[in-house]
Amino acid sequence: MSEFLQVVLSGLATGSIYALAAIGFTLLWQAAQTVNFAQGEFVMLPAFFVLIALHWFGWPLWAALLFGLATAVVVLGLLFKKVVVEPMLPNTGLPLIIATMALSIFLKEGTKKFYGAEAQPFPPLFPQETLHVFGAAVSAQDILNLTVSLAVVVALTLFLNRTRTGRCIQATAQNPAVAEILGVKTKRMVLYTFLINAALAALASFLISPVYLAKFSNGETLGIFAFIAAIVGGFNQIRGALVGGLLIGVLDNLTATYITTSYRAALPLVLLIVVILWRPYGLVGTSEGREV
Amino acid sequence: MRATLRPVLLLVGLAVLIVAPLGESNYVIYLLCSWLIFSIAAIGLNLTLGYAGQISLAQASFMGIGAYSTAILTLAGWPWVVGMLLGVFLCFIVGLALGFPALRVKGHFLAFVTLAFNTLVFLVSRNEEWLTGGTYGLSNMPRPSLFGFSTDNQTHFYYFTVLVFLVSAALMYGIVRSPWGRAFKALRENPIRAESLGVDTRWLTLIAFAIGSAYAGIAGALVSPLVQYIDPGSFALVHSLRILLMVVVGGAGFFFGPMLGAVIVILLPEALRFTEGYYLIIYSAAVIALMVFCPSGLIGIWGRLRDRLGRKPETRADMQAGAQL
Amino acid sequence: MSASQPVLAVRNLSKTFGAIRAVKNVSFDVYPGEILGLIGPNGSGKSTLFNCILGQLRPNGGSVEVNGKSVSGKRACDLDKLGVGRTFQQLSVFPQMTVIDNIIVAGQEHHGTMLSRLFGPPDAGLTAEADQMIEFFRLSHLRDEMAGSLSYGQQKLVDAAMAFMAGPSLVLLDEPAGGVNLTMLAGLKERLVTYNREHGTTFVVIEHNMEFVMSLCTRIIVLAEGQIIAEGEPDEVRANQTVIDAYLGG
Repeated sequence: MSEFLQVVLSGLATGSIYALAAIGFTLLWQAAQTVNFAQGEFVMLPAFFVLIALHWFGWPLWAALLFGLATAVVVLGLLFKKVVVEPMLPNTGLPLIIATMALSIFLKEGTKKFYGAEAQPFPPLFPQETLHVFGAAVSAQDILNLTVSLAVVVALTLFLNRTRTGRCIQATAQNPAVAEILGVKTKRMVLYTFLINAALAALASFLISPVYLAKFSNGETLGIFAFIAAIVGGFNQIRGALVGGLLIGVLDNLTATYITTSYRAALPLVLLIVVILWRPYGLVGTSEGREV
Repeated sequence: MRATLRPVLLLVGLAVLIVAPLGESNYVIYLLCSWLIFSIAAIGLNLTLGYAGQISLAQASFMGIGAYSTAILTLAGWPWVVGMLLGVFLCFIVGLALGFPALRVKGHFLAFVTLAFNTLVFLVSRNEEWLTGGTYGLSNMPRPSLFGFSTDNQTHFYYFTVLVFLVSAALMYGIVRSPWGRAFKALRENPIRAESLGVDTRWLTLIAFAIGSAYAGIAGALVSPLVQYIDPGSFALVHSLRILLMVVVGGAGFFFGPMLGAVIVILLPEALRFTEGYYLIIYSAAVIALMVFCPSGLIGIWGRLRDRLGRKPETRADMQAGAQL
Repeated sequence: MSASQPVLAVRNLSKTFGAIRAVKNVSFDVYPGEILGLIGPNGSGKSTLFNCILGQLRPNGGSVEVNGKSVSGKRACDLDKLGVGRTFQQLSVFPQMTVIDNIIVAGQEHHGTMLSRLFGPPDAGLTAEADQMIEFFRLSHLRDEMAGSLSYGQQKLVDAAMAFMAGPSLVLLDEPAGGVNLTMLAGLKERLVTYNREHGTTFVVIEHNMEFVMSLCTRIIVLAEGQIIAEGEPDEVRANQTVIDAYLGG
């Protein structure tokens, strides 16, 4: 029983990190009509920015993290929007999706070439002790990861619902034309969405890299988890992405521990196919209306 | 002018195909075969993407299904054709099964479903050693023989590949030239209007995806005897992305786009050996630029250049007659 | 088919969106060969009614039947099989296809099955028929031009040709006069009236252009605030005080 608790908690922790990536992905899809196939690479990359600051510049961890966050927001948020997405408007259908697919290859191969192909250790942000909760040995890192992620989600939800800017972002997501008429600066709201996504991806990167190690190929798995979490949770809602992420994290861990290791990766894939088959709007989503 | 130019160009192309391997090394002939094989897969994906407007990220895994069925059966003594037909049949059925739920809803869900599927196929082929040889793969598949002629010789196998390629391309041409082709065009240009005219867009898209996947099966069936070794890694997601890039770069929705795209993806890295390791970076950056400036690919660029550089402005027939009605 | 069986039967149709009752208990029949005009001030529920007839909106109450068959929840391509055609306000043609191809594609889905179309001739045997239709709309000189290069008015003619190609028993025309210049308008009206006379096809027209509607239609229904407030021949309706009040916001 205590092992079960351990596995579940650990799964929740990892799942909450996937949720961050999934939320960003969902936001981008809704508010900016951008299906970002490079989301996995967006989560892979910021860790490398941090490593560059640590090893090439020799900065302390806190500075390196800030550098990583700032660079991610500029490159994966601002530059992504200006250089890739904006020039393609209003062609945001197939060409944009394909462009993000190409971008994922570009970022992956670029990282491999310029930093290296081996997995790099990433400094943990939290103490590595084990606590004992209800007889289960639980890592402090897991608990803190979970806490941080949930806190971020709560903060984001508050921002989107309680602040003026947040509500403007929601308005832009639901009906850009009307929002524009009502005086919302939609272009800026869309920009904010891109920046938020980059920040979320960076945060997810910092939390997950201590466990996964920073590797150029991480994007593939992380991306799949983000997409699946977003879809399973229902593309339309942040709540959904959170539920999706946690669910995937827990199921993934349970599968690996109790069922099979060689087919571990199959579970989220099967889940995705099943959800699309049975409830394409996700477990939490609704087919009408877009809510952020 | 174009009407007479086309058959001439085709004949020239055919001639080039026939003389290409003469005097070349086995490796070069292998590259040519590779180009033709990937062209077949890309032609299939072009139907799905360029004509029906759906993204499939599973083309490599369908190639894998074709390759493994052919390999398993030929290693057990069955003729190549049987393996190929089984592979194609499986791909078609799986295509229908995957596409049916995914295409019921608006949005690019097929992209995600095929992404998941490709990875699943990779997992299965890696884990089920009893069937697929696992990570060790399958090797020493015999080369097919056509009416008693063996294709063990690399050049002979090349001509065999050319034959399969020409048949596949001709079939696709038939599809595109039929009323289906017109329905695809309508679907691409104004799907709402198309539906209101009775075009069953759901079925059309589904069947396009299934056929496109079946083409990958044909291609995979040729991979097996070409290299005489296959393993799960040969059909991983990255190869599906490569095939997608081929279609996109060549020009999605144009008949010859896939062949052109395949040339670039397969032969260019060989020609630009010095870019080794960088070619994917350069390539993906080029695709992004292409999507920004000319989403219709290289053939689209060619079309635009041609319009800019030479055509006399055509006056519409009714402008000469004066407005009527 | 007896003259009394309506082509379109709308019975007690209601449609609400949340608190807004867009269509309230509307009933009317459309008889074979009629040209029915559906008019009303903005917000009267015309478009909602139209979309319910097209099966794109599911009514909350009542029914819509075409030739005795319910259209509720039907996909657009199925409606076409029921003998319902429609024209569009905007973006109604396939711009990168020639005019003749536009018209052939409109007809091809009614000949044979999907499979037979694959193995049949490239034009689905429809070139002659398509040419006839093009000639009827006096567009023969534009036969091989890209539909996207035509003028707006000409595109509307192609749109109508496409809607008629399948030989529907009922055609719904969505603001056919919108944005068309006066000379073209007269021609369009004349062609529609002629087609109706020659083939007996029933038309239902939604339109804002009063003159166009009054001179084209054999019968008019006026909607206001989701209900029918008047029905009858154009002259009657035009003189009806309730109608005048509705339009002037009385």
